[in-house]
Formats: sequence, C-alpha cells, structure tokens
Amino acid sequence: MVSQAVSAVRARPRREREEEVLVWPDLVFVEFISAVVFSIALMVLSAFINAPLLDRADPNTTPNPSKAPWYFLNLQELLLHMEPAWAGVIVPTIALILLAAIPYWDRAADGQGTWFGTKHAGKITVWSFCIASLITIWLILYDGAKHVEWTEDIIRGTGLNSDFIWPTWLDWARNLRGLDTGINWSDLSFTIGPFTMFEDWRAIPLGIPGTTTDPWLLNLNFPSFLSQQIVPVATMVGLPLLLIGFTKHVLGWIQTRRDIAILIFTGFIAVFIVTTVVGQFFRGQGQELRPPWDIVVVEE
Amino acid sequence: MASVERPPGKGFNDQIYDLLFRNYVWQSIFRTGYPNTPRNQMLVVATNVFLHLHPTRIHRTHVKITHTYCLGGLSFFMFLGLTVTGVLLMFYYVPSVERAYADIQALETNVRFGLLLRNLHRWMAHAMIILVLLHMMRVFYTGAYKPPREFNWVVGVVLFILTLLLSFTGYLLPWDQLAFWAITVGTTMVGSAPVLGDESKFLLLGGFEVGTNALIRFYTLHVIGLPLVISIFLAVHFWRVRRDGGLARPL
Repeated sequence: MVSQAVSAVRARPRREREEEVLVWPDLVFVEFISAVVFSIALMVLSAFINAPLLDRADPNTTPNPSKAPWYFLNLQELLLHMEPAWAGVIVPTIALILLAAIPYWDRAADGQGTWFGTKHAGKITVWSFCIASLITIWLILYDGAKHVEWTEDIIRGTGLNSDFIWPTWLDWARNLRGLDTGINWSDLSFTIGPFTMFEDWRAIPLGIPGTTTDPWLLNLNFPSFLSQQIVPVATMVGLPLLLIGFTKHVLGWIQTRRDIAILIFTGFIAVFIVTTVVGQFFRGQGQELRPPWDIVVVEE
Repeated sequence: MASVERPPGKGFNDQIYDLLFRNYVWQSIFRTGYPNTPRNQMLVVATNVFLHLHPTRIHRTHVKITHTYCLGGLSFFMFLGLTVTGVLLMFYYVPSVERAYADIQALETNVRFGLLLRNLHRWMAHAMIILVLLHMMRVFYTGAYKPPREFNWVVGVVLFILTLLLSFTGYLLPWDQLAFWAITVGTTMVGSAPVLGDESKFLLLGGFEVGTNALIRFYTLHVIGLPLVISIFLAVHFWRVRRDGGLARPL
C-alpha cells in the first residue's frame, strides 16, 4: 500500500508529444528567416566586392606564385613538404576515408544529440585545436628554415658574432631537404649480404613513383626518400598517435572512442585551417613564406 | 420587443478577401487558406510538395538556432541559389577558348546586373563550401553520426567531395589567368597519383594540358554532370535524415 501511494505521487514522465512543436510555424519560419538573411548578406557582399577576373588565360605566362583554389591550398601546402603522390593524392584520399569511417569505429550510441557530449569533450577540442595549430605552424616554419634565419639574425643582432652563419655541421637541421644534403650519406653506406645500402634500394617494385622512367619501380633515391616520404609520413602518423597517448595517459581526458574521435577530428580541422591560411596568405613567389603584405604576383 | 442578436454580416474587407482567396481558381492552387490551426499547419507541411521534406512536428530543442545554426539547410539553400544564378549565367556564356573570357567581360560590362549575377554565383560557391564544412563540424560535435546515422555521415562526406568538385570545375570557366593556373596546379596534383595518375589527369583534361577539351569537360561536369549526381545524394541525405527520426537526440 505504501509503495503504491509513493508511486502515485511521483510525477508522470512528460510525454514525447508535449516536448514537440509544430514544424509550421516554428521551424519553417526559422528556415525562411535564415534564407532571407543570407540572401541579403550575399546581395550586399556581391554589390560591394567583385569576383576576381584577371587577364585572359595565357599558357605561356605563368603567374608566380600560381595557386590552386583556396580549398585545395592545404594540399598545395603539403606538396611543399613531401613527395607529390603523398601530398596530392594519397594523404587526402586516406583522410577522406578515415573521415567517412568515423561512425564505423566510434559505434557507441550514447552522447549523441548534444554539443560536446562527453565529460572532457570541450577541453579536448580546445586543447587539440591549439596544439595541432601550433605544431603545424612550427613544422611549416621549420621546413621554411625560419629558425635558421632567426638564429642568424639574433646572433648577429646581439653583436656576439656579426658574421654568424648557420654552421655547416648543422645543415641537416635546416629543413627537410637538409636531411638530403646536410648528411654525407655515402660515408654511411653499408652492406647487407650482396646489397650495398643505399644504392641498391632502388628499383623495388612497389608501385610508388620516384624519378625512374618506369613508374612501377620504386626509386628509393635514398636521402630524398627519407626526407620526402619516410619523415613526412611518420610525422603525419606519429604526431596524432603521440597526441592521443599524451591526452590519454598524461592529461587523462580520454575515456571513450568518442573522445579520441573528437581529438583527431579537431586536430584535422586545425591542420586544414592552418595550411589553408598559410597557403592563401603567407606564400609568395616560389612558394616562399612571406607576410601577407609582402606578396606580389609576378608573371613570368 | 427585445432586440435579437444576429451574426454580423460580412464587412468590406472580408468580401475582398473572399473575392481574392476563396475563388475557384485560387482554391484549385492552394487548397487551404493560411494555416492558422495546428491541424492545418500539420496538414500543410505533410501535403505540400516543398514542405513535406519536413516532419509535421519536431522536438523543441531542435528548433533552437544554437543546436544546428541552420547550417545544413543553408548549404542546400546555397545550392538552390547557385542553380538559379548558374542557369542565368549559362544564357551569356559559351564554353569555348575563343569566347569564354570575352563572354565574362561582356557579362560584366554589357549585361544589366551581369556583374552582380556573377558576383553572387562566386560568393555563394565559396559560402557553400564554408557552410558544408561548418555543417560537418556541427554534425560531428553533436555526435549526430552515431547509430543509426552512420551511413548518412558517409553520404555527407560524399556531398562534401562533390561540393569541392563542383566549385573546382566552375573555377576554370572564366578562362582568365587565375582560372587557368589554378586548374593547372590542381590537375598536376591529380597527375601525381601513384596509380593511374597520368591517366586520370588525361581523362579530366581531355589532353595533356588545360585547353579546349578541358574547358568543355569542366563545363559539362559543372552545369549538368555533377549537379545531377549531387541531387541524387542530396535526396538520399534528406530522406535518411527523416527515416532516422530527424535530428539526433540524447538517448
């Protein structure tokens, strides 16, 4: 009897229907107003800012820098740091496949329908966005040998050594290409059985094009294989893994697969934005890093 | 005698209203008047061809702007706007190497509102890419890809790729230096694919470099091929949103 009385007092759960509103007017009007706002905004934008139209296309006159549409500048940025097959095709293909595969990997149904649905989701998003942006900027500066320029400027500027130039024994640390030229690879050659490294690493049939005439043969072309393929790919795979490990074990913010998905997706968005912005605003002639006000397009 | 209360007769406004909106022709087009009762409001959403994409009722939290920011709907709105402005642009544009650039110049200088039309098309295209990206982020951060919506997320990724391709194929059409070299850079990237790279590039350009064949291919893909494909994926995308019970909700 007592338990019955208690259950009678308990509030009846609200029925689903009571939580619902009618699509007309509540949703249709929101849609209508947002469409009107966007129409007006785009009209105003179009009235004041003209779509670019340069000179007629001329295959014999190449603008320097030549840039892809802005949404592909992230790929064009990658192109500066690694083998074109990776930057232009393999990396975006894998990125899109991984993107599409998120729901098949993070299958738990909970946490849907609310913004940042896990306990640490907000923190993870901010952290991942900041760290991925910083590391991407740092990597771009490194490959642009900016640390070399700045170190030289600083040491000359302090008057310690007004003729200071980056020492040759540190040439390998200039940028990625420095790995090719800054290390005397022929001094390091060794033999395994009948093969002499690294000369005999050429012509392995793996289907990755190098500089051989036959695209089906892998021309390891060793130092450049290291700087243009191994190091960039290891960076793109390794840094996200490190980020996951650090966030999980050091920060302790990762509890579910959803947290990992948020971490990596946010990092992807950050890299996408940073590389697009750098490609659009900070690449001048010869794709050199330049401040935006210093970028002039020259026709050659 | 006590006065008898009678229903008031129709006033002048009511008569005008009836004349305009209760006549035979009008009612053959719009079967109900303005839907001002809940029953009619549901009916109009369920029976109108343009509105029946929606359910008749929706959860309270889903009409809050901050839940979706209307991003998916606005992406679709950009697609519609691009279709309208695109069709108008087609009146003035011939996709030939000889004429394309001159046509754009003529559009900007000789056609009334031609410049505005082209500007609108351009900025809407950029807006659509940004909106699609933001929509993807919204869906991700609200966990809306989770079961049973896994496949619709995949459809969304395909729609994102198609949006980029639509924009990319349109980029060449003005045939100016910006267009030509952007497409040259872009297709060179395609050519660097480890497998079938040169073949893909040749297929895309209809030759070894950006020229007449490339312009025709990009034009055809831009104005009919890709819009048809994206329409099919859009239909599936919207249909599945409905089939999966609308927007994702906390369990």
